[in-house]
Amino acid sequence: MSLKALRIVWRVTALNFRAQLEYRTEFLLMVAIGAVWQVSVIVFATVLLTRFTGMGGWDSSDVLLIPATRMLAHGLFVLFLGRMHWAGRQIQEGRIDVYLLRPMPVHRQVQLAYFPTNAIGDLTVAAGLMVGALSRSDLDWTAGRITYLIAAVLGGMLLEAALFTVVASAALRFPAADYWGRWLEELLGTFGSYPLNVLPRAVGGLLTYGLPLAFVAYFPAAVLTGHDTAVPYWLAAASPLLGLLAYLGARLLWRWALRHYSGVNG
Amino acid sequence: MSGSIEVRGLTRTFHTTVRRPGLAGALRSLVNPERVAKHAVLDVSFDVAPGELLALLGPNGAGKSTTIKMLTGILTPTAGEARVAGVVPYQERERNARNIGAVFGQRTQLWWDLPVRESFAILRDIYEVPKAEHAARLKEFDELLDLSSFWDTRVRHLSLGQRVRSDLAAALLHDPPVVFLDEPTIGMDVVVKEQVREFLRNQVEERGRTVLLTTHDMTEVERLAERVVLINHGRLMLDGTLEEIRRKFGSTWQVRATLADPHAEVVPPPGIALLRHDGPRVVFGPDGPDAPTVHQALKAVIERFEVTDIGIDEADLEDVMRAAYVQATGDA
Repeated sequence: MSLKALRIVWRVTALNFRAQLEYRTEFLLMVAIGAVWQVSVIVFATVLLTRFTGMGGWDSSDVLLIPATRMLAHGLFVLFLGRMHWAGRQIQEGRIDVYLLRPMPVHRQVQLAYFPTNAIGDLTVAAGLMVGALSRSDLDWTAGRITYLIAAVLGGMLLEAALFTVVASAALRFPAADYWGRWLEELLGTFGSYPLNVLPRAVGGLLTYGLPLAFVAYFPAAVLTGHDTAVPYWLAAASPLLGLLAYLGARLLWRWALRHYSGVNG
Repeated sequence: MSGSIEVRGLTRTFHTTVRRPGLAGALRSLVNPERVAKHAVLDVSFDVAPGELLALLGPNGAGKSTTIKMLTGILTPTAGEARVAGVVPYQERERNARNIGAVFGQRTQLWWDLPVRESFAILRDIYEVPKAEHAARLKEFDELLDLSSFWDTRVRHLSLGQRVRSDLAAALLHDPPVVFLDEPTIGMDVVVKEQVREFLRNQVEERGRTVLLTTHDMTEVERLAERVVLINHGRLMLDGTLEEIRRKFGSTWQVRATLADPHAEVVPPPGIALLRHDGPRVVFGPDGPDAPTVHQALKAVIERFEVTDIGIDEADLEDVMRAAYVQATGDA
């Protein structure tokens, strides 16, 4: 992205944010919904720390790294790339047609449609959880581990963005595909916080090779804490890279789908 | 830059599933869908010269919007080709976007949550318009469209008329040579409609912009367009001037006269038919494809007969287009 394009992105984002601030109650409600939406993860973490010593052979403090990584990745996804989750609605409202009239990439315009105020709540909870997870961790947090954790969070963000971009690409052709996005969000929220070895092998396999949820936080946390998983170590360790590759692949799919866009209402 | 539009054999085919009647039919369609090709636009060719305003007309579902979507780069044609200001819109979408402005009456291209002026400023940055130029153009548009009375209001709080005037300004702020307007005045009150028409006339006559307009408002066509293209069922039915359309579709005028001599022999001038003769009162209408225009007929009647009273009845464009649509539907 050129410097000029970055300036436009910053300007539109700042204006959108200012526009949200003007409706004070609505703004605070959106921040709150972002935090409340993660209540199941907070309950899970609380129960894990107060009632159990561990899960699936993992200590509680190690397990806590999984929801912390996933939530931080999710919060960043919502902040930077999350409008893809609502692309289906923008397609059905015909806004894609308008985006195609401007000399600017459509994907960027989808992201600039509004400011995601709920991301503030998401990120606040996620940052708190990550601070808690790191403070309880017995690991030696070397520069290498910290770098890998940062890469894992970014990789998780990109992987989630890739999954929603695939759904949005399908929605360009089949508007009903948008419902799959809701199912996907539900699935990520439900299974994203657990060490997947507690699940039946088939389900774990599905969440690894079918819907690659395991690469968002479970495998990176296993690499950091030294736990074995059902996949070779190199594959688990490559999670951040896979997130990047999945995102690049999804963007290519989006471009292809956009070239074959047939519009709404015929 | 030349603002011409060239369209050759443009075709857009959609594939849809045939809906079978009843629950059993619906289930059969689910298991064994029957796919059919539907031509939304089929082999349409026309040109629009730089600085010309062309009205693209047709009944609902005729293919007007699909044609505009292909010319603006939103849709890729199945076959044929198009060039807008020298650019193939569906191959170079972003380059084409810099050459065109577009207004879809039922959709806004402004940012819903931002004041109108902020949207204008963002578009200025996107299209890289120099600040002084942007300010001068905004001042000019404000004088024509009275934008300053509401441009600090968020788009979501604007009335339809205010919103479309803002959209028109937004579409033209980067000074595009070609403008596409898809039912821009739909749902507007007569005062705002007139303001928008004045603005469009100004943009064509003073700025030399090429405009392709779709509308169902025949007053708008009559006030703005010299030439129209009529399409129906995706096919081009007619490409000509308003006068040609009037001539082609039915008896579009009548000359009523009262003769000074009620017993005079009435032999109408060439191309004119005697429709009624009742004492001194006679009614003439066009006769055949080479009939004169109403004004020529009026002159011919006055020259041939001594009249004490004369008047004309001209079918309005609404009637003419109704006849054209009916005939076009019958031909398809």
